[in-house]
Parts: sequence; C-alpha cells; structure tokens
Amino acid sequence: MAYSEKVVDHFNNPRNMGSFKKEEDGVGTGIVGAPECGDVMKLQIKVQNDTIVDAKFKTFGCGSAIASSSLATEWLKGKTVEEAGKIKNTDIVQELNLPPVKIHCSVLAEDAIKAALADYQKKTDSK
Amino acid sequence: MNGHTHNTDDRRELQMARSMCWHCQSEMAGEYFCDRCVKVQPVSKDLDYFTCFGLPRRLAIDTKVLEAKFYELSRAFHPDFYQNKSNEERSISLGNSAMLNTAYRTLRDPIQRAEYLLDLEAGAVKDIRTSPPADLFEEILELQETLDEFRESDRSSEHASTLRAKLHTDRTNLEERQRDMEARLQQLFVRWDALQDRGEATEQARTERTLILKDMRDILSNRTYVKNIVNDLVATIA
Repeated sequence: MAYSEKVVDHFNNPRNMGSFKKEEDGVGTGIVGAPECGDVMKLQIKVQNDTIVDAKFKTFGCGSAIASSSLATEWLKGKTVEEAGKIKNTDIVQELNLPPVKIHCSVLAEDAIKAALADYQKKTDSK
Repeated sequence: MNGHTHNTDDRRELQMARSMCWHCQSEMAGEYFCDRCVKVQPVSKDLDYFTCFGLPRRLAIDTKVLEAKFYELSRAFHPDFYQNKSNEERSISLGNSAMLNTAYRTLRDPIQRAEYLLDLEAGAVKDIRTSPPADLFEEILELQETLDEFRESDRSSEHASTLRAKLHTDRTNLEERQRDMEARLQQLFVRWDALQDRGEATEQARTERTLILKDMRDILSNRTYVKNIVNDLVATIA
C-alpha cells in the first residue's frame, strides 16, 4: 500500500513542527495517543482574541499520523476557537486520501485538536 | 476443561441449528461439513476464533490442542483438495483457509489472544476504554526529544556520550517496566480464566469481569507505547 502524494509531502516537509512553552499565555496543549499502534501526538495552539494565531505539533508515529497532525496545524491557523472545534477527522481523511487502515491517525489528530482546545479553555476559565 | 466450555458450546449449537447446508438445504448438524451431502460449509462470520477451534474463551490455552485443530482444519479446507470441485466449494475453501490462518495467528500469540478477547468482550463491557496515560505521554515526548538531540549531536563529543549514557539508563528502566507489565498481565490472565471457570452470573462476578478487562486494556495499550519507545531507543543507541 502506498501513501498518497499529499501524505508524502507533509511527511517530507512537515508544517509547523515544534512546540510552544506550555505555560505561555494563550497556549493550549493536547497530548494524545493511539493504543492500537503506540503513536503519540502533541498539538499546541496559540490563541489571541479568540483566534488561533499559531499552531505547532510533534508526532512520534507513522507517516499518516505525522501528515494528519501537520495538516491539522495548517488548518487551525487563522480559525476562531469555535471554528477549530468543528474540524472533523473525516475532513482529514478526505484531504489526505487515507486508506481505511490509517483512519485512526486522523482520529488521533481530531482528538489532539479537541484536547488542545479543552486545555486552552481550562486555562482561560481558571483566570 | 469441561464446565467452562458450556457457554461456548451452547452458542455454537445455536449457530449451527440456525444454519442450513448451502447445497442440499438440509439442516446443518456437522461442524464444517454437511452430514448429508458432505459439502464443505463456509465458516460463519459470527463465529469467534475460540469457538472456531473448539476452545473455551480462556487466556491460557493448550497450544498443542490449538495446533492439532489448526492442522486438522487446514487439511480439511485446503484449496488443493478443491481443485476439481464446484466454484462454490472452491471459493468456500479459499475463504475458510484465509479465516483459519488469521484465527490461528491471533490465538497462537498470548498478547494478540488477549487483544482479541478484549475486542470480543468490548461490546459486553461498557466504557472499556479508560483515560489515556498522560504521565507516560509526557515521559515519551521528553525521551523522544533527548533522542532527537542525540541523533543531531556530534557522536564523538562529550555531550553525545552523556546523552548516550542517559538513554542507556532510560532503556534499562523501561525494559524493567516492560517485564513488570508482562507479569501483571499474566496475573490478570489467570484471574480472567478463574472467573470463566467459575461461570458465575452474579453482580459481583460481572464487576470483577469489567475490572479485569479494563486493567488488561490499560496495560496492553501502555505496553504498546513503551514497546515503541524502547524500539526507538534500541535502534538509535545500538
């Protein structure tokens, strides 16, 4: 089974790889894992005035998981917090042309977005 | 191994009673072959791998029995013996052989066997997925960063040898934890089997059942994360 062109592109040129300081203002961090394959994904957002101005990820796993999180950070930038919550794993599957056995990678990316948003919300609420 | 096979046998009887021979339409009494016209029958998709091999849903299984049954069925379904048969029989022989191989591979390995059992039982046990191990994730991310640092370092430098020494220690610790997890899994397997053998339908038995499955799920997934990072460690510092 071959990876789609888009997956290979994201894998070779991952967008927004890296991380922010967790404690930084407006930063939300989501760390999730897929128990089926042992992949671990960290996704962070930086929010200003309810808009995601930057996003970063670090993923340790297969090419599809890396591509899914790379794509997710691209999509997140410029979105409002509310819009970001609407990103679905199926959108990622479609964009990257993921085969059925790799769908859990897109689920992982959606979970990571949700976790990062929840973390951001928690930080804002506690202020 | 008599008492605990009861449930599985009941299920199988039910399954068989409902099915009809695809060829002569008589009610199926035989296992995989029609008693009347002797035609091979497709293995039902609802049949779980344990039942397929006539084994109870236990985690300690007699691998000799498993192997013997595998060889017996392999011969019975082998496509070579169906070359001169009808299209239907040839396709049933292929399908059954493929299914049999997957079933054998799954049950032969203790970990895969446990994963499979969890899949089977997941429907019966609500909320079998527990919260993700946040501490372990943090630890893995940190380790991966040290690994990256080491990969990019000048291997002859002092910094690299400090990193290498640290990674070595991490590896030893993680392997120790792997062994610990395997031991805990073994204990859970024994508890699961004991529970199956008692075959009680009390509230207490149901609670224990859920607890065992949850613990197994937890350890099995943590085991996968740890296994991955250990593999990365071994590949990098070897």
